[in-house]
Amino acid sequence: MQNLVDFLVHYKHWFVFLLLEAISLLGLFSFDGYQKHVYFTTANGMVGSIYSAVSSVTSYLQLQTVNRELEADNERMRKQIVVLREKLRAVETNSTQRVNGLPLEYSLVSAQVVNATLHRNNNLITINRGSADGIKPEMGVVCSRGVVGVVHLVSTHYSIVMPLLNEQCKISCRLRRSEYFGTLEWRRGRVDVTWVTGIPRHAKVKKNEVVETNGYSDIFPPGIPIGYVMKIGDSADGMSYLLKVGLFTPFQTLREVSVITNYTQPERRELEELADSLNASLNN
Amino acid sequence: MNETNLIRAGRLVILLAIQVFILNHVHIVGYITPLLMGYMLICFQSGVSRIGLLVWGFLAGLMFDIFSGTAGMASAGCTLLAMMQPALLRAFAPHDADDHFVPCIRTMGFGKYFTYAFLCMFVLHAVFYLLDAFTLHDWPMTLASVGGGTLVATLLCIFTELLVRKKRH
Repeated sequence: MQNLVDFLVHYKHWFVFLLLEAISLLGLFSFDGYQKHVYFTTANGMVGSIYSAVSSVTSYLQLQTVNRELEADNERMRKQIVVLREKLRAVETNSTQRVNGLPLEYSLVSAQVVNATLHRNNNLITINRGSADGIKPEMGVVCSRGVVGVVHLVSTHYSIVMPLLNEQCKISCRLRRSEYFGTLEWRRGRVDVTWVTGIPRHAKVKKNEVVETNGYSDIFPPGIPIGYVMKIGDSADGMSYLLKVGLFTPFQTLREVSVITNYTQPERRELEELADSLNASLNN
Repeated sequence: MNETNLIRAGRLVILLAIQVFILNHVHIVGYITPLLMGYMLICFQSGVSRIGLLVWGFLAGLMFDIFSGTAGMASAGCTLLAMMQPALLRAFAPHDADDHFVPCIRTMGFGKYFTYAFLCMFVLHAVFYLLDAFTLHDWPMTLASVGGGTLVATLLCIFTELLVRKKRH
């Protein structure tokens, strides 16, 4: 105890010094000035850094719990994805979907190809949608790559589609760049190639140019891609070009198709039929 | 209060007046302000009570702060100077100096007195300007303030010393 007292007495000027310095600094920081601002900013910064470091360590230690929670979340979401995917598939079969080149206003009915022939003169495709789904003959059938064909016959739940790979199927088409139009005809042989006739000689045709529907028929809206020009040749009479066209639609692997249900225009068809009959009577 | 303390009080008032009314308005090259208040502590003879010296130092600084609006900067500097003054004086005092040795040019010689005064002023100015800046962001300016203030204040010290001691003797 005596030693402690001796120590305190011996170094009392140090205590006084520290006390006076403390009073000075207290005055400095109590005064609402620059030093106080800097002090508090620095102090806040330091405390913030310490809190940040503590938080980092705590977060690291909690990672295991977080991982478990994330794993549980993932599991729950995986199950949800399966359920939602099923629902989406069900909805898609009765709703519209975007087809390459097709404006959104056209209503489509999705269908699946259930049977198809590819190596006859008159190939046909069977799809699993019929009159019960709003399918009618003469409706256009497309897939995500382009044109597939035209609905030929309809039952309640199935339809027969006449694809492009049918010698009876003749579709009006045009060249996308130059807009010259011709007729698409298939000739037995390759299932990925078709032919375009009727392109006039003065048209400037380029290889790889896209061939698309031209909207002249009431089956397909204009602008749906069909294929691309593979080879430019002359027709038998030499009056027009005969274009060899590579088809976009992969008929050999075709599975999902869509039927355009709201493009058919009865009024236009009636008018055209009337014109045809008038022509016929005049000719007679 | 004995006579010695009375003289010290008078010295404090005169130095405070010079500092507040004249030197506080002197800003050499825009930012160097000499703190002649340190002269008050430089003059303290050896053998003075350490606590008494500390209290005088604190009071001198506090007076300066009150009249200059510097809130603690000068009192911190003067208190530190009061703490270091005995050691500095001991370092530059002649070997045959007695217990109540009075620091002045006559007793110490010009060179030693100059160095002693310079170091004392350096302690005061360093604390004052570091607390004033309170950051090392603009350290060249702080360094220039400390160096310039110390030099000018030391020269003023010498000048005052020559003036006062000449009259006294």
